[in-house]
Amino acid sequence: MATKEKMFMEAVKKKFKEEPTDVSTTYYKYGGWRQSKSKVEFQAAAEKIAKDRGFPMMNEDIGVPLGQRSWMPYQLSHTDIFVEPDDLHCINNPAIQQAWDDIRRTILVGLDSPHQTIERRLGKEITPETINTYLETVNHTMPGGAVVQEHMAEVNPALVYDSYVKVFSGDDELIDELDKRFVIDINKLFPAEQAKQLKAAVGKTLMQAVRVPSIVGRVMDGATTSRHAAMQISMAFISAYKLAAGEAAIADFAYSAKHQSINMGSMMPARRARGPNEPGGIPFGFMADMAQSDRVYPDDPGRAALESVALGAVIYDQIYLGGYMSGGVGFTQYATAAYTDNILEDYVYYGIDQINKKYGGFCKLDPNDHDELMNLAEDVNSYSLEMYERYPAIMETHFGGSQRSTVAAASTGIAGAMATGIADCGLNCWYYSMLEHKERAGRLGFYGYDLQDQCGSANSFAYRSDEGLPMEARGPNYPNYAMNVGHLSGYTGIPKAAHVARGDAFTANPFIRVAFADPALQFDFANITKEIGRGGLREFVPAGERTAVIKG
Amino acid sequence: MAYKRQFYPGTTSPAVARRRLMDPKVKLQKLREVPIEDVVKLMGHRNPGEDYKSIHPPIEEGSEPDCPIRKLVTPIDGAKHGDRIRYIQFTDSVYFAPVSPYQRAWMYLSRYRGIDTGTLSGRQIIEVRERDLEKMAKEFIENETFDAALTGIRGATVHGHACRLDENGLMFDAWQRYLWDPKRKEVKYVKDQVALPLDKEIFVGAPASMEDLKKRTTIFRADGVDMRDDKEVTKYQHRIHKLRTLGGYQPFKVKGV
Repeated sequence: MATKEKMFMEAVKKKFKEEPTDVSTTYYKYGGWRQSKSKVEFQAAAEKIAKDRGFPMMNEDIGVPLGQRSWMPYQLSHTDIFVEPDDLHCINNPAIQQAWDDIRRTILVGLDSPHQTIERRLGKEITPETINTYLETVNHTMPGGAVVQEHMAEVNPALVYDSYVKVFSGDDELIDELDKRFVIDINKLFPAEQAKQLKAAVGKTLMQAVRVPSIVGRVMDGATTSRHAAMQISMAFISAYKLAAGEAAIADFAYSAKHQSINMGSMMPARRARGPNEPGGIPFGFMADMAQSDRVYPDDPGRAALESVALGAVIYDQIYLGGYMSGGVGFTQYATAAYTDNILEDYVYYGIDQINKKYGGFCKLDPNDHDELMNLAEDVNSYSLEMYERYPAIMETHFGGSQRSTVAAASTGIAGAMATGIADCGLNCWYYSMLEHKERAGRLGFYGYDLQDQCGSANSFAYRSDEGLPMEARGPNYPNYAMNVGHLSGYTGIPKAAHVARGDAFTANPFIRVAFADPALQFDFANITKEIGRGGLREFVPAGERTAVIKG
Repeated sequence: MAYKRQFYPGTTSPAVARRRLMDPKVKLQKLREVPIEDVVKLMGHRNPGEDYKSIHPPIEEGSEPDCPIRKLVTPIDGAKHGDRIRYIQFTDSVYFAPVSPYQRAWMYLSRYRGIDTGTLSGRQIIEVRERDLEKMAKEFIENETFDAALTGIRGATVHGHACRLDENGLMFDAWQRYLWDPKRKEVKYVKDQVALPLDKEIFVGAPASMEDLKKRTTIFRADGVDMRDDKEVTKYQHRIHKLRTLGGYQPFKVKGV
């Protein structure tokens, strides 16, 4: 994609009446918070609540005078959707919540081990027909249906309609014999080359993509997912294969479901304690595999990296760091800078153009040529910073230095990853950007940027476990990354960029890659910013709502 | 050979400005006079004439533990008296403010003892014993590092450093702590740094011209002096990144870099 016309122009022209290059404007005359449709709505709602409950609630007139400058709408990048910042708060946006629900409620449980138990230990035959029977049964049990004990309370299906189990495999012959309704079909969902790679990586394993109900994750937590899945899978085996509910082999099903499965995230240490399948434990490579843009738009590697950034922004920065680790009003606009107004878009596509011009395409820059890697980093980072300097409208759009630091570093890191095909080279470029940004502007982000980014160059290639990891395997749980909002979005885009540049069908885990291609998911992981925008427009319909059991 | 302290590389005007600010031997130019009573009011920690609040007895009266470090360090005046630690925080516009947050930190740490600074993208806080703070605050409001339009004194609600300038060339401040006075053609503060109304207007002088600021600023910008045009600064920054990268990865390769 050419970058002749600045990609952020549409957004900034909608935000401001002045030319994007104007340094001057006027302030203090816009009517304060009343210029914002959502603030007006909030104030009316808060006043009603205060009246109903008999004591004050939120009040837009308390604290900082909001709206002293023109209230900016935000364009979801690579969409035509504009929303207010409030619409992107993770508590206000059901699409963001559903993206997290869909990740948290997913566990991948192999069927090979239980099939061996059934065949070798119990002497029963496994056939495509028995597998289909099992799949029909487990799609009854997983939402909360009973199959073994009589007089059981069950879950209202209207509350858990999003829960299901599907299977996939690299074995086309086996898949051909299974009931298509229960199959995530790699051949149909992925471009041919990606399908070939994925099938080779998955092999003959028959893998279940288990989705426990969204509402289960909300009432319990991510660590419940494996337990819920194990319980209901075991029940389905008992019923489908007519087993004894008390026989010892059943424990093997539960064991394999709990411990021979793929969680989306690992446990975190005591000081940040969360169980598995909570956001802090998700490696960047896994998150990059969940983002599906390159499956649907295989000819647009820039979009693939950018959609990964967007997913990282909402899950890591908004929900994890802004919610789990901080709480309160959170860090919304800190994170949205990376996926709104096509600013990062402009910088990333500039980097792609430069890579094509300088090296003749992706993965052609020798990763051992650190001097040339720095030259590329300087080029892309300087372009990014220069845009802020040449276009005061985007400088004001990213009115916090942390926003600018993240976006400039993300574009530089993505360029380094694409040019070499090595995620760690991209990470090294990220830190180059941070050092240069500080040196150039005399400012960077908040205190955390001192902590994390001034020492990052030194760990960017480190692989020893207490010093570093390959970028694909790092995550928020990596010691230095545990507390700094504004970084994890860009970090997600870097390994994605490296692997999409290489033409890889996945970044870190082929099973996760396939599992999130499933069109039965509530959230469309191939169109992340669009889904977030639909959430902001109040068009997105999330699962797990309780209206089915609330009178009226 | 005696070590000769170095401050900053480069030949361009921002690089030279950075060196000047960091060098404690350089006396910074005083551009305006703001009475100490007004400085005290702007900060809002105590009323002019009010006693300093203390958090411990004067050191000479107290029973300090026998500590070799304490014997080595001469306490600053406020520490001697047991003053509490208070702050002033400056916001510096991206539009060629005379100084930017990191340069403030480097400058403060190079010129003063007994201080704590915190650097963010738009603002820079300096915390120090109260009577020392007041002297420093007066100095930094009066000297060349402060511009009436592009430097703000803000304790909270600090954003504005990256916003466009208003019709009078002033940096945005959601609290409007300062206003343009068209009669005097100067900037006046009407609120203190946490936006409490002042009982009198405090004038901090006229803004410098953009032409003058572009000569004096420490900020590299594409529409001013681009950092890439200062080969020595660029080389120095490359070297830092390269050394850190190799130091953490292949330290045996750090030879002649």
